Amino acid sequence: MIQKKICMLGSFAVGKTSLVQRYVTSQFSEKYLTTVGVKVDKKVVQIEDQEVKLMLWDLAGNDVFSPLNMSYLRGMAGYILVIDGTRIKSFESALTIYHTCQQKYRQAAVQVAVNKVDIQEQWEVTDAHLAQLHDLGIEINLTSAKTAQAVEDIFIKLARA
Amino acid sequence: MDIAAQVFAHLEMAVIKVIEPSAFELAGPSFWWLERFFFQTSPSNATLTPLETSPFFDDFLEQSQSVWRSPEQHSLTSGPWIEVDDAGREWPFDAQAIHDHGQRLLLITHLGASYAERVEILQSSRERLLDNERLEAEVSRRTQQLKEREEEVANRLLAAGGYRDQETGAHVKRIGLYSAAMAKALGWPPLRIDDLRVAAPMHDLGKIGIPDRVLLKPGRLDEDEFEIMKTHAELGARILSDTGIPMIEMARHIAWSHHEKWNGMGYPRQLQQDEIPIEARIVSVVDVYDAMIHKRVYKQPIAESETLHFIRTSANTHFDPRIVEAFLDIYDTIKAIKDRVQEHENDQPSPF
Ligand SMILES: Nc1nc2c(ncn2[C@@H]2O[C@H](COP(=O)(O)OP(=O)(O)O)[C@@H](O)[C@H]2O)c(=O)[nH]1
Ligand SMILES: [Mg+2]
Repeated sequence: MIQKKICMLGSFAVGKTSLVQRYVTSQFSEKYLTTVGVKVDKKVVQIEDQEVKLMLWDLAGNDVFSPLNMSYLRGMAGYILVIDGTRIKSFESALTIYHTCQQKYRQAAVQVAVNKVDIQEQWEVTDAHLAQLHDLGIEINLTSAKTAQAVEDIFIKLARA
Repeated sequence: MDIAAQVFAHLEMAVIKVIEPSAFELAGPSFWWLERFFFQTSPSNATLTPLETSPFFDDFLEQSQSVWRSPEQHSLTSGPWIEVDDAGREWPFDAQAIHDHGQRLLLITHLGASYAERVEILQSSRERLLDNERLEAEVSRRTQQLKEREEEVANRLLAAGGYRDQETGAHVKRIGLYSAAMAKALGWPPLRIDDLRVAAPMHDLGKIGIPDRVLLKPGRLDEDEFEIMKTHAELGARILSDTGIPMIEMARHIAWSHHEKWNGMGYPRQLQQDEIPIEARIVSVVDVYDAMIHKRVYKQPIAESETLHFIRTSANTHFDPRIVEAFLDIYDTIKAIKDRVQEHENDQPSPF
């Protein structure tokens, strides 16, 4: 069976843990519990006639308190760059993370999840911001861990990549 | 138990010898949680067989092979990771692969109370950070709203004044844009630049109170008429007084002082040099420029070159020389605004 390591990257509280939880267990919790260190979940998906085992690495959000530990990224096949649409700061850190990953993991597939689309009326991230990502050649997905919108898609896209 | 074993027990650290790349032997005290990672036939048998049930740990074991196989001394640390048990409880661990003086070791530590403490601290720091971010966003959103409302007020004032003479919508809009471009060139902060863009169009608001026979007179004004005309400066200032809104305060200064001259020969107060508020000094240059190059009922447009010559030679007399310098520096921008904002596309009374 093909095995793929997928990392969840992005600022804290953007919904990395929630997206994995929605995808793996179909659940969602409003409560915010910070992740420290790494938690790995598994999910097997069927891609055409192939079974692909996804290893989903939920990393602690990087911020001033705990910088992203790059050694956790070793061997990743792809990553999901998660942005909280309601927080412009999370857009900025996503750009930083992307550029860092481009240096060492240029071959890794990437999908951007602009999360919390269920509360899009509160978004600070605008089309102009998304255009910036688009110009970098990154595929953008508007997701919600709460309503499950586009959640499965992002993982399937990386399983296929 | 020897001292080392006591220490390991206290640290909740399992010390495991690496016999072969996949054959392990427990060297120190045993812990119940080891069964998450290894199969042990009996408590007395020290041989451990990896279970391959924890993806993170398996990955770490794989990476560790290079440490144990390496001829050099070497070590690798996993960083904290979390295992979740069937009841949903989280168990944090940390592991280390060591190759030292021919000794190959695997250390696994169950991170206990200190880890929980660290999580708690991080949690509250992050919550505080989130609160701050939200507050910041809220403040900038409110500021934005406030600015929009102020602009709305300015537009209504202008609309109420109507455009009874040459001060058409396009003209006042251009004055705002020229002035903002000037403020930017002069290094003003963004919020003040925006205030000036909205405030400058109100420079002639006081013309509301000037009778038609004077305001709309096609020919030259006689001395009495000119005296009446001059009152528009003070009138405008009075209309805009006592609001406590910085943008409107700015507009008040502009209305009152945009006909003052650098040499003290202007009106209504004969202010000179730095006594004239900077915003008024800016508007006075761009207002004269725009009035000269456009056609009016009583005059033909004056050529750009002639207008620029007039402005240049009026530095130190009519105008602040530094403002004239800035104007000439950004003349391309000014010209672009002039070409872009023209009456035909903008002959509605709404200036914005
Ligand atoms: N409305 C909404 N809230 C979300 C969504 N995803 C996550 N959250 C909330 O955002 C907070 C942070 O989520 P979490 O998954 O812990 O973020 P992480 O730090 O990136 O792992 C939690 O309170 C979640 O309930 C979403 O799609 N919509
Ligand atoms: Mg998390």
